[in-house]
Amino acid sequence: MIVEGEHRFPAPRQTVWDLLQDPLVLEKAMPGARRLVATGDGTYEGVLRLGVGPVTAAEWKLNVELRDRVPPSSYTMLIDSKGALGFTRGSAKVELIETGPAATTMRYKADLQVGGKVAGLGQRLLDQVAKMMTKQGLDGMGKELDRRLKGLN
Amino acid sequence: MHHHPPEHPGRGYVGESAPRNEDRRLLTGNALFVDDVQLEGMLHVAFKRSDHAHATILGIDTSAALARPGVVAVLTAEDLGDYWQPGPLLVPPPPVQGLVFNQATQVPLAKGKVRHAGEPVVMIIAESRYIAEDALDDVWVDYEPLEPVVDLEAALAPDAPLIHEQLGTNLAAFVPQTHGDYEAAVKDAHVVVSRRFHYDRGASAAMENRCVVANWNARAEELTVWDTTQAPIPIRNGLARMLGLLESQVRVVAPFVGGGFGPKIMMFYPEEVLVPWVAMRLGRPVKWAEDRQENFYATTQERGQVHDAEMAVDADGRIIGVRDRFLHDTGAYDPYGLTVPINSQCTLLGPYDVPHYDSEFRAVFTNRTTVTPVRGAGRQHGVFVMERLLDLAARELGMDRVEIRRRNYIGAEDFPHQWRILFQDFSPLYYDSGNYLPTLEKALEMVDYAGFAEEQRRAREQGRRIGVGVVSYVEGTGIGPYEGARVTIEPSGRVRVATGLGTQGQGHYTVFAQVVAEILDVDVAQVNVVTGDTREFGWGTGTFASRGAVVAGSACHAAATAVRAKVLATAARVLGIPEDEVEIVSGRVQPRGQPERAITLAALSGMANPLRGAVVPGTEPGLEATAYFGPEKGSTASGVHAIVVEVDPETAMVKVLRYIVVHDCGRLINPVIVEGQVQGGVAHGIGNAFYEKLHFDEGGQLQNASFMDYLLPTALDVPRVEMAHRETPAPENPLGLKGVGEAGCIPTGAAFAQAIEDALPEYGLDITEIPLSPNRLFELLESARAASAPEPAPAVP
Amino acid sequence: MQVELTVNGATHTVEVEPRMSLLDCLRDKLALNGAHAGCEHGVCGACTVLMDGQAVRSCLILAAQADGAEITTVEGLAPDGARMHVLQEAFRDAHGLQCGFCTPGILMTMVPFLAENPSPDEDAIREALSGNLCRCTGYENIVRSVRLAAERMATARADG
Repeated sequence: MIVEGEHRFPAPRQTVWDLLQDPLVLEKAMPGARRLVATGDGTYEGVLRLGVGPVTAAEWKLNVELRDRVPPSSYTMLIDSKGALGFTRGSAKVELIETGPAATTMRYKADLQVGGKVAGLGQRLLDQVAKMMTKQGLDGMGKELDRRLKGLN
Repeated sequence: MHHHPPEHPGRGYVGESAPRNEDRRLLTGNALFVDDVQLEGMLHVAFKRSDHAHATILGIDTSAALARPGVVAVLTAEDLGDYWQPGPLLVPPPPVQGLVFNQATQVPLAKGKVRHAGEPVVMIIAESRYIAEDALDDVWVDYEPLEPVVDLEAALAPDAPLIHEQLGTNLAAFVPQTHGDYEAAVKDAHVVVSRRFHYDRGASAAMENRCVVANWNARAEELTVWDTTQAPIPIRNGLARMLGLLESQVRVVAPFVGGGFGPKIMMFYPEEVLVPWVAMRLGRPVKWAEDRQENFYATTQERGQVHDAEMAVDADGRIIGVRDRFLHDTGAYDPYGLTVPINSQCTLLGPYDVPHYDSEFRAVFTNRTTVTPVRGAGRQHGVFVMERLLDLAARELGMDRVEIRRRNYIGAEDFPHQWRILFQDFSPLYYDSGNYLPTLEKALEMVDYAGFAEEQRRAREQGRRIGVGVVSYVEGTGIGPYEGARVTIEPSGRVRVATGLGTQGQGHYTVFAQVVAEILDVDVAQVNVVTGDTREFGWGTGTFASRGAVVAGSACHAAATAVRAKVLATAARVLGIPEDEVEIVSGRVQPRGQPERAITLAALSGMANPLRGAVVPGTEPGLEATAYFGPEKGSTASGVHAIVVEVDPETAMVKVLRYIVVHDCGRLINPVIVEGQVQGGVAHGIGNAFYEKLHFDEGGQLQNASFMDYLLPTALDVPRVEMAHRETPAPENPLGLKGVGEAGCIPTGAAFAQAIEDALPEYGLDITEIPLSPNRLFELLESARAASAPEPAPAVP
Repeated sequence: MQVELTVNGATHTVEVEPRMSLLDCLRDKLALNGAHAGCEHGVCGACTVLMDGQAVRSCLILAAQADGAEITTVEGLAPDGARMHVLQEAFRDAHGLQCGFCTPGILMTMVPFLAENPSPDEDAIREALSGNLCRCTGYENIVRSVRLAAERMATARADG
């Protein structure tokens, strides 16, 4: 499954970069995330709670690793999550493009493989769910960025 | 041979549409299906199945599952000890020169690695199914994913990841079969057409999922297994061997089975091996009932092949030869040997005279569910390739597509027809009998082929696009090795027939009764048939390859004939007259023409089993006989399907307006049952052609594992099939029977493709794949439109 | 928890888990095995029974939801055992079944359909059948069976 798109942040590129490296932000931005903690430089571990269509919500173990980091412009995110109902693995390439002094465009393309019960029963809905989750995540990140820009953190 | 004139029409003898003896039980909810078996103290099973198509198992943690209240046992491969063994190879490879076969059969629980999504890894046994399923979520399996092997060509690349490391290759088999010399003959061809053809997977989708119940009676030292199998006797024999029991200690019952369609002949499924073992170990009855999602992953499937085929014809449209190279997807394991691809290889030839044939296939392991026969069993792929090649050749030659078929049929005078390549029964492919041309002509008359162009033109004037497809096929049916039957006239006068194969809706309780009733001249309703219980009859193979009625029907015929001889001999003795003066009339025996001296069969049955005196030397007590029938050669059914479709080129929706089947399955035992088999087969074929496809992604994950997403045809999608029967009796069995169970679904894809092309000639479609969903047809239409789009007209200023 | 079900005229008080489906309750608790589990997600229709006269998918209904309801299963169609229901007879006479696994669900779908549509045409029958899957018959003889039953019911009404 390919999930790709673009998102504009009204902030300098470095601010957006910092935001994306912060597990607390990622946790808030990731729908269903229960915990996300850094376990090393660019590696995170956590738990997600998710359900798709007829598949009941269940806990998923999540490992995220950021690789090939070229601050503040690009990195690759390796995603590996598994639970009783299946798994999702894959990678996402994230690029940050400076489009102004306080404007950054994030371009992302994720290639994800979904397996197990979720794949067999939720397929019709998976694309929609992935899009919805991505949107929720980006909205979450936008809000967090907003908070930071306003110095609320 | 028995000659019995139908002097009692209406009694349901052979050739009449007797109502079915089994229907009352089924209609009132009183028929026993395996999942209906309820036993005191019964435990229930759920399987933890692989999420991955291909992965190494790093570790399994079952502790949380074991701790759950109500869970009785949790088993992994390691827990099975020596009982863990790969399953048997059901059909060894035939003795073809140059053949390569690499065996890798399924295992009870995955050990070390998993090879397809849905492969069982952990077995949970609990007090209820609900608890067992809860415990599935408690089990943690740690996998290291491996690169999945999904694409057939990529699977054979030198650097492809290996599914079975010990084989050193993903090649499951290589089978070259030829006759004539295609290479030399093709030089004289007027036209050579070639294409790549794809056939993809569907689900067998019997409405009843699989189910196994086992009960070990320790006092009687007897194991009873209820199993949704098409082959109860081989299951019993195998279980006895695996469990170290006598065959007589194991009783396997296949009661009413809710549809078979092939995958229920597969053995041994992991669950079939495990449930009886667990029942013996735990000393409690155990049930596993497959759910629909499991069925999509774990019940065998069929139909993935890719053919690169070409046909050479002369200027008159006569076939010079066919060359075919194809890849066959055998899935993760190959327990059924080469039956499916050999059926494809042989059935491709169809009713046509093909002087030169050069065919090679490679069977390939993939990280998908195991492939074994599904209704049609490889035949539709071959028929699709052949029929499409004929259509292409006709188009190249500017010849009518029916005419090219007519010119290439094997003539009525050329039977029996002996080919040189080997069929699935290991003997050279052999057509026992047939008469193809009249079958075609009848179908053309029924569909009004001659008037169709005009009908098409009129429809087009109304903005409707209709097309006709006319295709032919043959089907090798009724193969050995053998079946048996025991026929008994009970003291009540009722007749009991026991045979070894299982029944899945084919009407065996009725058709076998008809065969026996006619010979003994009793009412069909007086004949009680039992099938699928190894305690009742312990010799035989099973219901597959359209052979039940032919082979077991012939055994019933032989056993009934032997009982009839006993009846006549006993009556002659009792009446004090020569045997040839005895006649059987409506369940009574009498001296010819003397009804006042008649003895009922009930009374005669008592006399044959005397309580005093002695049984006459040289005779046996009772009116009972057992007989077997093992045909040396199968019988070849054949037919022509004609389809009329309406296609909407904007939406790519296809509506089947008419479906005509003219077929020849030899003598009909029960015409209504035969018609039901054909109608149901066509529905299956329409599903395969247009609605049904198992979508696997490039990771080997099935994407549509439910009836919400996998579309079975409904009552709105299947038209009434118009049928005509031709009866060319089979010479190889006493009743002249040929099988019919699979015929309906064999040429459907080919007919469908031809009719769609015919409906939309301006698109120049080249349909080379089945299934052809509305989405896929839409894409083909779009690319045809793009290819032929006229230059945009200059804008008017 | 306890639920009270009136099934085929007899009232039963059954102890069930709150999550137990009506189908499992009928099959496992009341030994009525005519309704079958074909897909467990409400698509195939093999589990259809009547709940207060309406055809329902018993795999999608919890036994608890049926508390107090009147249920009819295929076993209740011909209660006297000697004669079958006119619809059952029509299915036998027109070869409307093969393996018979989906048949009870189809019968229970057609009973209320025929009550509301005493003389349906073929299209209406096919429409009404379209929620029940059958792999064996190709549907044609099911349609014929339903028509035959409708004709016989009409004759019986005219005679009665």
